[in-house]
Amino acid sequence: MHHLSHLIAAIATLLLILTTPAFGSDEWFDTEALDNFLTAIAFSILVLVYISLARRRDLTIRRLGGLEALDEALGRATEMGKPVLFIHGLHDMNSVSTIAAVNVLSQLARRAAEFGTHLMVANRYPIVMSVSQEVVKEAFADAGRPDAYNEQDIFFAAADQFSYAATLDGLIVREEPAANIMMGYFYAESLLLAETGATTGAIQIAGTDAYTQLPFFITTCDYTLMGEELYAASAYLSRDPKLLGSLKAQDIGKAAITALLIVGTFLATFGISLPFLGAS
Amino acid sequence: MANLTNIDRRWIFLAVFISVLVPLLVGFHLPVKASPNVRAIYTSIDALDAKAGDTVLMSFDFGPSTLTELQPMAKAVLRHCFRKKLKVVGVTLLPEGVGIAETILSDVAAEFGATYGEDYIFLGYKAGNEVLILNMGEELRAAFSTDVRGTPLDDLTVTRPLRSLGDMAYVLDISAGYPGVEEWIQYGQERYRFKLGAGCTAVMAPDFFPFLQSGQLDGLLGGLAGAAEYETLIGQPDAAVSGMRPQSVGHVVIILFILFGNVAYFASRRGGGS
Amino acid sequence: MPFLQRTLPLILAFVAGIVGILTFYIPAASGIETEGATWYRIIFAFSMILGIHSLLSMHWRRIRRRQAGWGYSAVTWFGFLAMFIFGVWNNSHGPGAPIDLQGGGMVWLYDHIQVPAGATMFSLLAFFIASAAYRTFRARTPEAAILLVAAVVVMLGRVPIGVYLSEHVPTLSQWLMATPNMAARRGILIGVTLGAIATSLRIIFGIERAYLGEESEDV
Repeated sequence: MHHLSHLIAAIATLLLILTTPAFGSDEWFDTEALDNFLTAIAFSILVLVYISLARRRDLTIRRLGGLEALDEALGRATEMGKPVLFIHGLHDMNSVSTIAAVNVLSQLARRAAEFGTHLMVANRYPIVMSVSQEVVKEAFADAGRPDAYNEQDIFFAAADQFSYAATLDGLIVREEPAANIMMGYFYAESLLLAETGATTGAIQIAGTDAYTQLPFFITTCDYTLMGEELYAASAYLSRDPKLLGSLKAQDIGKAAITALLIVGTFLATFGISLPFLGAS
Repeated sequence: MANLTNIDRRWIFLAVFISVLVPLLVGFHLPVKASPNVRAIYTSIDALDAKAGDTVLMSFDFGPSTLTELQPMAKAVLRHCFRKKLKVVGVTLLPEGVGIAETILSDVAAEFGATYGEDYIFLGYKAGNEVLILNMGEELRAAFSTDVRGTPLDDLTVTRPLRSLGDMAYVLDISAGYPGVEEWIQYGQERYRFKLGAGCTAVMAPDFFPFLQSGQLDGLLGGLAGAAEYETLIGQPDAAVSGMRPQSVGHVVIILFILFGNVAYFASRRGGGS
Repeated sequence: MPFLQRTLPLILAFVAGIVGILTFYIPAASGIETEGATWYRIIFAFSMILGIHSLLSMHWRRIRRRQAGWGYSAVTWFGFLAMFIFGVWNNSHGPGAPIDLQGGGMVWLYDHIQVPAGATMFSLLAFFIASAAYRTFRARTPEAAILLVAAVVVMLGRVPIGVYLSEHVPTLSQWLMATPNMAARRGILIGVTLGAIATSLRIIFGIERAYLGEESEDV
């Protein structure tokens, strides 16, 4: 709750200052962005409120097939004595999809340590690699298997898109991982990776918010997490109340936008314009 | 019939190879009609005024892997700009884009007798991705104090009057991924309100349709087909128009395989029961 | 060093996040943004050193231990050294200048090795798409059948040959891309954007600490 109170205090002060006639001017506040600002504030408050509420209430989340299959993939890899290959997407650590992927990796690494499965993690950026190493190391320690952690299993594959794809294709063909888990934002290399993995008979689970790559993953992978299902993955796997609360706030935000869309469509269809909405 | 539902993929690869190779060797004409998204970029650039000093910024955000698909559109737009005697500033957000951009700029400039420094310049590459766009939007010289050859921007006719991205009459980003069009929209067009057109690989084009409808993107060149349409508009068919032949035949072959696969699937279901 | 490893990064994330948001709405603060952006670019460039070290040390280990495929690791080292040497010493000026390579060795290596290699990898997509489409585009359900028909229409509409079949094919293809496809794209985009905002807020307020390699914090 202290985050929320800080936010409200900061916003109130800022609004007071910026809207005071003596102080306010276009230099200090871009009035054209006011609707954007208010929407951002409203949604931010919603997220923080639900994160606070999450500890007091049980929040349910619908089943995500791809994540249910993670245990199956790990079990299969352990039985076959083959590794599991986790492939990060092509965005750096400042991307939300990479953060979501790291969250999934954390949960996957914990389970891999419990099962005794060999986990390999491919990265395209050095910072993502460093974060992944920390996350996996901590996960192995939490699972009581710090000795099983091998830093070299979390490696920097290549910086270039197709060099990354070529490196991983070679790795998939040589090592024949039992499971390929691709999480993050992908581009054209998605099909190169997934199709190569399909030829080796691996279980493939993909999660991406890259809309244009979804068809390729859906056709070549056993399970695909689409769009924000990737962001929900960490909440789903950990059942962390804070993450579930954040997810609830997102759902309410989506419901609000849907309601606005319906109202707007109705207004536009019947040619009703509202001056305060700037409608033409 | 069951075997036909599971053909060895190498036969498919061979068929695709032949379907691409033969049309490259055998010439035939296919009409190319410009779509509204491509025509929008053409119309905007055509409306620019060289006498008023209108400058076009082109960002070459692609590497060698997508060169074949994106170079033709870069060349077509450049030809349009040089033909209209517009000033052109080149930049790239990718280190591997430097060699590509330099080659494209110098090759097309040579066709029109354009002079480096007077008619076009190349800023080169700096690290930072979207942050570089922010820098350029605030103050061009904060991002690039010199061009790629080390000449201060104030010493070049093209860049002397330019202070930031807002001074560009048109910005065209040609990209194959990240950093690319979305970054130019989020960190460039949304903040500094310049006119932005985009070129991208065909698979990425649907990603940017929402931005076209919202007006954040002026127009869109999607893949080799988009480049072919632009070449048709400027009346100078080149690699993209030629590329439409193998692309067309390739698409038809893939469709035939899909249909064949479905026929075999339904036939095997009927033969073997459900 | 819990302060350096945990507290300082959290403070930096909070300050950078709030400043980044506010500068979007406060034009007068654009100078702060430019300065921060310049710092970021410098740090980003240095971070490549981490990656190069990781890449080269991993491959060196494979060569030293003669692990399976160590030859490819040797090729990686050779390629890196070749480009590095030519990049630093021979840009048509240094010791390699007598070799008549236009633009210097690095440009030659780039034009004659990297460009064709990259184009080759990208071109694999054409073959993989064909085999994946053949294997998986089966009209098993009504929805799959609709998808199949739409895919065929769009594939034909995107190339000039579609016009020969029917002049309506390009129009229908454009409609499919601009209307139902865009509706789906927008739906996913709205969800993804809200998810991104929520995740960003969690990072700014220190609730999400995945980037530090830690569990999330109690609110």
